[in-house]
Amino acid sequence: MTTATASKSNGRKRAPARKQDAQATKEPTAAIEHPTATVLIIGAGFAGLGAAIRLQQQGVRDIVILERAEEVGGTWRDNQYPGAACDIPSNLYSFSFAQNPDWSRSFSGSREILAYIQGMVKQFNLRQYIRFGKNVSDMAWDDQSGTWKATTDAGEVFSGRTAVMAQGPLSNASFPAISGLEDYQGHKIHSARWDHDYDFKGKKVAVIGTGASAIQIIPELVKEARHLTVFQRTPAWVMPRPDFETPDWNKSLFRKLPMSQSALRKALYLIHESMALAVIWNSPLTRLAERIGRWHLRTQVKDRWLRRQLMPDYRIGCKRILVSNDYYPALQQPNCKLITWPIDRLSAQGVRTVEGVEHQFDCIVFATGFDVSNAGTPFPVRGLEGRLLGETWQRGAQAYKSINVAGYPNLFFTFGPNSGPGHNSALVYMESQIDYIVQSVRAIQSLGLKALDVREQVQADYNRDIQQRLAKTNWNSGCKSWYLTKDGFNATMYPGFATQYANQMKELVLKDYRLIKAD
Amino acid sequence: MASIDLDKMLEKIKNTQWTLSDVDWDAPGAEMITEEQWPKLKAFMADLMWIEHVGARAFAAMAKKAPNDTLKEIYTYFHAEEQRHANAEMALMKRWGMLEDNELPEPNNNLRLVIEWLDRFADDQPVYVLGTVVPMLEIALDGALCKFLLDTVKDPVCHQAFDLINADEARHLGVGFSVMEMQGHGKTYMQLVRMAAQLMDPRLILGIASYFPLLNKMRDNIVEMGLPEEKLYEAMKKFEKIGGRTEDGRRNPWFQIIKQHGRVVIDRRNRFYHKPIDALVKVADLIPRKAFPAVPSWVREITYRPTA
Ligand SMILES: Cc1cc2nc3c(=O)[nH]c(=O)nc-3n(C[C@H](O)[C@H](O)[C@H](O)COP(=O)(O)OP(=O)(O)OC[C@H]3O[C@@H](n4cnc5c(N)ncnc54)[C@H](O)[C@@H]3O)c2cc1C
Ligand SMILES: [Fe+2]
Ligand SMILES: [Fe+2]
Repeated sequence: MTTATASKSNGRKRAPARKQDAQATKEPTAAIEHPTATVLIIGAGFAGLGAAIRLQQQGVRDIVILERAEEVGGTWRDNQYPGAACDIPSNLYSFSFAQNPDWSRSFSGSREILAYIQGMVKQFNLRQYIRFGKNVSDMAWDDQSGTWKATTDAGEVFSGRTAVMAQGPLSNASFPAISGLEDYQGHKIHSARWDHDYDFKGKKVAVIGTGASAIQIIPELVKEARHLTVFQRTPAWVMPRPDFETPDWNKSLFRKLPMSQSALRKALYLIHESMALAVIWNSPLTRLAERIGRWHLRTQVKDRWLRRQLMPDYRIGCKRILVSNDYYPALQQPNCKLITWPIDRLSAQGVRTVEGVEHQFDCIVFATGFDVSNAGTPFPVRGLEGRLLGETWQRGAQAYKSINVAGYPNLFFTFGPNSGPGHNSALVYMESQIDYIVQSVRAIQSLGLKALDVREQVQADYNRDIQQRLAKTNWNSGCKSWYLTKDGFNATMYPGFATQYANQMKELVLKDYRLIKAD
Repeated sequence: MASIDLDKMLEKIKNTQWTLSDVDWDAPGAEMITEEQWPKLKAFMADLMWIEHVGARAFAAMAKKAPNDTLKEIYTYFHAEEQRHANAEMALMKRWGMLEDNELPEPNNNLRLVIEWLDRFADDQPVYVLGTVVPMLEIALDGALCKFLLDTVKDPVCHQAFDLINADEARHLGVGFSVMEMQGHGKTYMQLVRMAAQLMDPRLILGIASYFPLLNKMRDNIVEMGLPEEKLYEAMKKFEKIGGRTEDGRRNPWFQIIKQHGRVVIDRRNRFYHKPIDALVKVADLIPRKAFPAVPSWVREITYRPTA
């Protein structure tokens, strides 16, 4: 154990001074070391909890889940802004191994999804595995003991024979790069850290951003605030959303005949799969989707200039497609205004835009998204010989099948590089990843392995193919999005159908890996 | 002169922004406007403000058509900056007691025609048409008019505002001429072909029909205010000189056309041109207000208030 700590601090010295190291370098005062678990999971969102459920079902019970918050749920715990809801139908945006007959709407709200996650924790008795309030600030492979060591910002060290990085792709809220952010004296709220105590009644409010969160927030805030100003940089494609309440007979049917719910899930899955043809590749269906988007805009917005401001000028699918029936109408409420002038800076009282006007507000809502680690890691991750993953990934993240990285044995990523769907439920992809992890952990156990490390060449070949396929997709068709790194490298999306992804994840092919036996 | 580095230019634009609240619109000096000046100045400022506003709309169209992201962002800024000029000029009018609270000056009929044209067709124009017309308008109308204004008006707040405006304009022209050079480069033949096709486009003809009288109308306004006509013509010659300073710039066929047209405007003796155009000015004045469709909503976006 002492050697492990020593080798870790060596790793630290070797690491260059990066921003993310700043907190990690504060040396633990009294290092608490916990016994080694079979699987160490970072994050208690859908991915971390789903992995625990499937592992448990396969008889792996020696699990530790580290969660920095005091509650499970990840995305759905953090995103409690008014109007927060999923934009994939709930019957598909849920685990197939934990179906819920009681979804109240076709697209359920954030609180209901959180309750569903909390329900799974109860049903599968996961509470025993979770350590709340553990904010992991460093991960390091200790080759001697063949374990991953996770150090928290409080200096606690947890270890596991294997580790799952399930810290979430969109879990770190980000503020925009606008100068004067600190000068603003009014109230500030980030969409992913909602302030439920703030009363919007009678207030002049700004929303900065017009992405997925913003278009859910705006229709709700416009009902509350005295005046709402929306600052848009790039308009998104907004499609109509087939949202409705689930009738009671439907819920009882699902409860009495679970097969009927599975059938609906299957149908929804296939519908979304077919959307890949429009969303991922440029096809006649892409043009059809654009026509639907334009039609939606035309029928909902009467004013020609406003329509022009809201009309996207990039190919549909290049960025995340949004769905909403009430966003466009909200913008046209008498107490709402859309501003498309570039923002110059924030001042003490509001937002200065380039047309020379200072727009003053009581409160600014930042619906500006998340820090996406597409060319780095949210905290230092050190593999063989202390190699920093952030450096390996400097020019864009790469992995084998999105899940393993050569040089980082026994480490698994949910939502790893090139695993993002543009057209289907993230949870469908997640289930494939989880089952792959379960297979790998079982293999490590049954073969008595110290290390399962993907071969560098295999990973390189895989990525050459992925990047070739990505070049032909809409995501790489020229717009700027969070899918791409600064240099335009796509480290985020999977260029294919969910079914293709599931197929590639079906089987763990041992010859793709270096297998190192435990002594 | 070599073409400017557009990325650096964008950076510079972002770093040198100003807002209406940088100017104290209530500072002393408003009384320096003479009673005799006042009514003519009011008409002049109203036209100037509208020209800025119309220029803004042209940049909006150019942003949609820009050949790369940097230029797109630059034009997006210029769009807003022209709007800022219109706002600042409105603030001056307000300061001089030329506007009631919340009043928007009425655009004259020639401007209504230009607004109509821009709103309907500007977004469909290839970027190189607007890319040549706009710098022309900027030099001729903006440049010459502002200079004249500063020569006649002593109010220091007016000078302060136009210092800020002119700093923006210098960059607009820098980018404008650079882009013209970029377009002229080596593609003469292709452009001639495309241009010939362009010339047949009835929408463009409409645009020209509303733009020519605008120039003549402004000329009349200026003469009315006592500006020697030559000043405006000098400005147009400047366009010729700057735009034609390099081989690439001269090769841009649009530069050639606009230049020829500029020469004709300058030449009062060219009755062949001026008779019908002056007639068009008169005709435009005769169009009843009701004949115009409602002004597009972007027209109402201007304000003299520094805060909202
Ligand atoms: C507003 C919003 C709406 C969305 N809607 C959809 C949708 O409709 N359909 C869809 O498919 N996807 C959607 N997504 C994507 C969504 O993120 C995923 O579907 C899914 O919730 C991700 O689950 P996760 O467990 O991987 O990550 P998360 O839910 O983010 O969970 C990660 C957990 O890790 C914890 N954590 C992070 N860092 C650390 C650390 N250093 N130490 C300890 N713990 C840590 C976090 O606190 C969090 O609890 C949406 C995302 C957002 C933000
Ligand atoms: Fe201007
Ligand atoms: Fe200008």
